[in-house]
Amino acid sequence: MRMNKKFLILFNVIFLLVFVSISSFATQYPEEKAIRIISPTGAGGSNDIVSRLVTSSAQQIVGQRMDAVAMPGAGGQEAINFVMNESHDGYTFLITDYGNLVAAALREKFGYDFSEWKPIVQITEYIPTIFVKEDSPIKDANDWITKAKAEPNKFSIAHGTNLCPPHVGLILIEKAADIQNSWVPTSGGSEALAFVLGGHVDIASSIPTTIASSVDAGLVRALGLTSAERSKFLPDTPTFKELGYNVVSTSWLMIFAYKDVPEDRIEFMENKLLEALNTKGAQAMAKKLNIELSLQGREESQKIYSRTIEDLTSLFADLGMLKK
Amino acid sequence: MDAIFSLDFMLTVVQEAFRLEIIIFAALGVFTGVTVGAIPGISGDIAIALLLPFVYNLHPVPALGLLLGIYKGNMFGGAISAITFGVPGTGGAVVTVEDGYPAKKNGYPKKAMLTALYSSVTGDIISTVILVFLALPLAMIALKFGPREYFSLYVFAILIISFLLQGGMKKGLVTAAIGLLIGCIGLDPITGATRLTFGFSLLRGGMPLIPLLIGVFAISEVMTQFIKTWHRNRSISIKGLSELSSKQSEENSYDPSKDIMSFKVYLSTLKATITGSAIGTFIGALPGAGSSLAAFVSYGMAKRFSSCPEQFGKGSLEGVAAPEAGNSATVGSSMIPLITFGIPGSATAALIGAAFMLMGMQPGPMMMQDNMPIMYTFFVVILYASIMNWGISYFLIPFYAKIAMIKPRFIYPSVFILAILGTYASRNSIIDIWLLLVAGLLGTLLKKAKYPLGPLVLAYIIGPGAERSLRQALLIGRGEWGSLLKSPIAIGFYAVTVVVIILITKVSFKKS
Repeated sequence: MRMNKKFLILFNVIFLLVFVSISSFATQYPEEKAIRIISPTGAGGSNDIVSRLVTSSAQQIVGQRMDAVAMPGAGGQEAINFVMNESHDGYTFLITDYGNLVAAALREKFGYDFSEWKPIVQITEYIPTIFVKEDSPIKDANDWITKAKAEPNKFSIAHGTNLCPPHVGLILIEKAADIQNSWVPTSGGSEALAFVLGGHVDIASSIPTTIASSVDAGLVRALGLTSAERSKFLPDTPTFKELGYNVVSTSWLMIFAYKDVPEDRIEFMENKLLEALNTKGAQAMAKKLNIELSLQGREESQKIYSRTIEDLTSLFADLGMLKK
Repeated sequence: MDAIFSLDFMLTVVQEAFRLEIIIFAALGVFTGVTVGAIPGISGDIAIALLLPFVYNLHPVPALGLLLGIYKGNMFGGAISAITFGVPGTGGAVVTVEDGYPAKKNGYPKKAMLTALYSSVTGDIISTVILVFLALPLAMIALKFGPREYFSLYVFAILIISFLLQGGMKKGLVTAAIGLLIGCIGLDPITGATRLTFGFSLLRGGMPLIPLLIGVFAISEVMTQFIKTWHRNRSISIKGLSELSSKQSEENSYDPSKDIMSFKVYLSTLKATITGSAIGTFIGALPGAGSSLAAFVSYGMAKRFSSCPEQFGKGSLEGVAAPEAGNSATVGSSMIPLITFGIPGSATAALIGAAFMLMGMQPGPMMMQDNMPIMYTFFVVILYASIMNWGISYFLIPFYAKIAMIKPRFIYPSVFILAILGTYASRNSIIDIWLLLVAGLLGTLLKKAKYPLGPLVLAYIIGPGAERSLRQALLIGRGEWGSLLKSPIAIGFYAVTVVVIILITKVSFKKS
């Protein structure tokens, strides 16, 4: 009897071990754990809002819980380091524009190479938009450029943090139009908007989602956009290209995987994310959030990413801002 | 406009606002906020950020009731830890430690907590009423604050606090300078270049707030008490057991019957409460200014106009009431720039703004017009959430007061462990623990030399903003220092600063 009891216990233990092993082998991606999308900007900001749009739209289609995590420390590098240091198993991704991932790394040495980051999908584009207070003496973009040419550094222009997308857009406009203004870095688009509304600066550069409600209310006027086509949130605002200046500068917002994430898992996420963001529900939510979806798959996103690195490297070299 | 004041509209709003679901969510929010605020290292922002994904699936009003409840409860909750352990639970409770902790040591923690509660709720209600009725005019005034004005406000705050806190003017300025230096670690606010990080990438974002706050207050207090106990035990072993029993009876001397709050006591702190409420409401409406700044300036002004300023820093209930009213008053007013212009008044307001957007309401000039029934329902909920804050916290306070009077030999080791756990929990970083201990050592040395800690923390919190404002103002003024005075508001703040400093200096000379 004793031998039988021992045998029974041993059998059960072996059976359990085999069962658990088989179960873990049988777990398919992404069933193991929740997927996290890490944003290097603060909760409540534009990136965070887009990240929440992605996670809430995609989790049913992906078949796993998806969490939007804001990690704004260290100028965005905390989020980037976090994704780099986590297991490269396809459960942790980075969502960012080029400011934190590319621009910062061109100026300062960080622990990664651009080629280590693989774009999966592009979600949207941020379009640098130049705007003034409604009662500003600057009538339109051409008026601004004419006056700025006549008197360099006459106008003070607020933008977000140094070399963020709205700032880069501004630099490119100034290069194309051969003008010079006095730049006033701020903590972000909201502060730039506040400075314009309060009359502390003459002009500001931000993105349509930040200023759209103020434009609708007649508090500010948008002078121009640096996109190839007009934004549907500011349909009456011309592009600088239409005005004759060869400036097309938008910042993508993409989801990235870090180097060793398996190819099949990246492909899975690409397909599922595009499927999710093309649904009517996602489109409706994007409209509510004033987000203009501009979806691109892996291949196209990689081309855009590479082009951005080249363009920014060239621009920063011109400005003497490349790291030594 | 007539529609807003029609009976039908108001009845609909009130009916909607008092639905059971909304009441439950608001109460849950307040309870969560108070609890989280009382734990150093965990802020209401974390709770709100964690709840954002769920907010999307709720009806807007209960969701916003929940989030606002957390925001309000969190502001008062910070005072509990400040009074009980001498550790501010939130940045806004930093200056509450100055008088709240001595009040507990003097044997009236419950009175101090109730003073903090009543003044907190008073400030909250006043600023909410102003949000509802005077949002746009106050927002227009707030917009007049640009870089020049912000810089003058920061200078005013740092100098006034340095001069007014215990320890004297020179020592206050020295610790403020240390705080400013610590605030310089990380990224240059204008160019984004890294400075003073010594190669540590985790310092790129600056000295983190949690290890600094907890280290300077909690660890330094534990170390100071440890040193005192060690000296005492040495002298006891020399002098004998009779000293030991007398010291033990000091530990057991809390008498709850003497720690009772009365209406008379509340009235005695009313001037400080109103001062804090007014200052907090105004500062809360300035985007980015913050609850800490409101608390410090409220404390400074309350001390300046108090009939017993010498009691501040020794357990004065006015010294508890003013900063608590000040920091809580920022809750309602920080919504003002968000709702009127889409500009969040604080980091927490930005999270609330994100919640609005996730629910399809775009913060900005059209928000009220496009969402009138929801917004007015929301205002009613904010108002009764303040009353809930009072009710829920009132029942929690006796429990916290008992914890406050647990014998020091049990409390301090617990504080030490909680400090380490809370610090590690914020970023999962072992470097933060080292920073905590270094900050603790710094706080201990400053305490030993009788240097005040308040100016250090204030300067650390507002220093980066002050530097950014100064450099923005100089960029706008094309490098001319004279441009800092091209603002009547800025001139006003500088003038008030000079007058107050002269008056304080005169009083000090008379005393000496």
